[in-house]
Amino acid sequence: MLRVAIVGCGKIADAHAHQIRRISDCDIVAVCDTEPLMARQLAERFGISRCFTDLGELLSETRPDVVHLTTPPESHYKLAVMCLERGSHVYVEKPFTLNYPDAKRLLALADEKGLKVTAGHDAQFGHVARRMRALVKSGYLGGVPVHMESSYCYELGDSGYVRALLTDKQHWVRRLPGRLLHNIISHGIAKVAEFLQTDSPHVIAHGFVSPFLKARGETEIIDELRVIISEENGTTAYFTFSSQMRPALHQLRVYGPTNGLIVDQDQETLIRLPGAKGKSYVEKFVPSLNFAGQYLSNLDMNVRSFLRRDFHMSAGMHYLIESFYRSITEGSPVPIPYREILLTAKLMDDIFRQLDVQQHHDKGSSL
Amino acid sequence: MAESELTESVMTQEGNLIGQNEPVLVTGATGFIGYKVVETLLERGFRRIRCFARPTSSMSKLEQLIARYGQDAEIDLIQGNLLRREDCLDAVKDIAVIYHLAAGAGEKSFPDAFMNSVVTTRNLLDAVLQQGGLRRFVNVSSFTVYTNDRKPSGALLDESCSVESDPRRITDPYCYAKVKQDELVMEYGKKHRIPYVIVRPGSVFGPGKTQITGRVGIDTFGVFLHLGGSNHLPFTYVDNCADAIVLAGLRQGVDGESFNIVDDDLPTSREFLNLYKSNVRRFRSFYVPHAVSYLFCLLWEKYSVWSHGQLPPVFSLRRWRAEIKPTGYSNAKLKSRLGWAPKVPMDEGLHRFFDGCREMRRDA
Repeated sequence: MLRVAIVGCGKIADAHAHQIRRISDCDIVAVCDTEPLMARQLAERFGISRCFTDLGELLSETRPDVVHLTTPPESHYKLAVMCLERGSHVYVEKPFTLNYPDAKRLLALADEKGLKVTAGHDAQFGHVARRMRALVKSGYLGGVPVHMESSYCYELGDSGYVRALLTDKQHWVRRLPGRLLHNIISHGIAKVAEFLQTDSPHVIAHGFVSPFLKARGETEIIDELRVIISEENGTTAYFTFSSQMRPALHQLRVYGPTNGLIVDQDQETLIRLPGAKGKSYVEKFVPSLNFAGQYLSNLDMNVRSFLRRDFHMSAGMHYLIESFYRSITEGSPVPIPYREILLTAKLMDDIFRQLDVQQHHDKGSSL
Repeated sequence: MAESELTESVMTQEGNLIGQNEPVLVTGATGFIGYKVVETLLERGFRRIRCFARPTSSMSKLEQLIARYGQDAEIDLIQGNLLRREDCLDAVKDIAVIYHLAAGAGEKSFPDAFMNSVVTTRNLLDAVLQQGGLRRFVNVSSFTVYTNDRKPSGALLDESCSVESDPRRITDPYCYAKVKQDELVMEYGKKHRIPYVIVRPGSVFGPGKTQITGRVGIDTFGVFLHLGGSNHLPFTYVDNCADAIVLAGLRQGVDGESFNIVDDDLPTSREFLNLYKSNVRRFRSFYVPHAVSYLFCLLWEKYSVWSHGQLPPVFSLRRWRAEIKPTGYSNAKLKSRLGWAPKVPMDEGLHRFFDGCREMRRDA
């Protein structure tokens, strides 16, 4: 029986607790939050016996096998180091760390201690993402991806989170190197990182504050981002983050030398894009039928999953946690290769560095 | 001023826990009810009012009040965050009575609702302890905390009814937050002797709100499912509700008490829906008998458990009992202990509400 602890008792901790409860052979033995009331509410609702306000005490008194870090990102590195030093495996919510050097040190420490770590890139493990991975492994693309397009959008709307972020100049999201982007884009960047071949791709980033935010007096929070990523071997990718474009896509398009794929996370659809073209008018009629059939097939799979009670909104998180636990108990590989975690962190560092330079330049020229 | 009016005014002042020049704090002062509480206090002659609101709140309505009463009254506007202890200390400094209306209403997650209702209330109460001298803490709660369980259909829901005690039965974040907020206030009252009163408004309506309460029905996929039928609605017009809240902070001898707030002449769900349709807009609605809505909630709840939350438990028996079960309501305690009487009759309140709805629809 794996002994699990959750550190940080905010909104995402609820999702973790729900998913952990659905996994057999594990038990949430303790929760921790610097705000005692927050720790108490999580423990009370999920029937968890121990509450702490200090991680050191939690680690000493309950000796958990795994710790889930669901705290604000700036604390991830320090807390993860503490857990590893005390012998616990760690699940770190996204963004993994504030920067690439911290990510590298953390993973090196895990290796040194013989412990395992994963990042909360759960969008990589939804039903459709897993189906896509299996298809790519089967060789459907016909080789290494030639080009990818990852769109990861976020509807600002009028949520409390956004209102708080816009009005509170001390909000923790503002303290992140990439601000709003830092807290969100790792899901979309990880989708690209999975298929990149080298460790130092070239990155060109362009970001700006949307007219929507500007109209609300915001000048610092970049909520529109376009990125071009390229590798020496010829693989390229576009990454788009937008708070304004509609539909607000969460989508990956991968084009190989033979065929392509479209993975839509929101609709849970996987569409094959056959590379071969039909002759003359055949191309005008047959592909539409093909796509109609594929969408019907996706519908069928989704309905069947739902009827099997296997179509939860947090299916990706459930799968990731279960796979991570299995990697601990059975010694199987970690669900997210460390190379992918590091590359995601590196790409994000490159993007934020360029946006910083751009913002300084923009400020300088406006003076 | 007529002699009888003068006598009443002096008596009101004398019967109050605090004088009109003692400072009063209203948290959530820009909210639908909070603003009316401030206005009611000013109308009742209170001259030192501190209004606390989030930085995200629009202060325009309060600024209008300042323009109206500013010459005779000292109205402080403080924008801050009750999650910050220093903001709480600033807010409670020298305050005699606190009307605590700020809450995490509309939050969809348990932690967010809890943080914005319970942690904020704890910070405020701690600030009160540090500051000292508070005469009363008026905690604005909600009907949602009642279980409405183990009672026959149509039985009276009053202040003696049981409040939810098992957090694992609660599927609504707002309900959980309010239950815990009430518990916290009572705990501080017991442990630290902070004098408090808890008020629980029913369904508050008035100009500025357009939504039809879930007690009447739900609008889903373009069809309005009428669930309330012949149930009486626990309505309280916003001015009447604010007046009751204000009195809860002023009347002597009610420390530690709780009060439900509902108006007189409560309409049935069907009466309200018909009036809404004829006064605001026409739409199709289908009546869902109570037995059917009960069965639906039961099945939904069972499925939610069986599927490990594949469908979240948005419909549950607890919700059915709280919102759909035929229930009677009483304001007897409110009238007898606080001397409250609704200033705006139900007909007039509904009339103003429908006018407000039409106006907002025109503006939209």
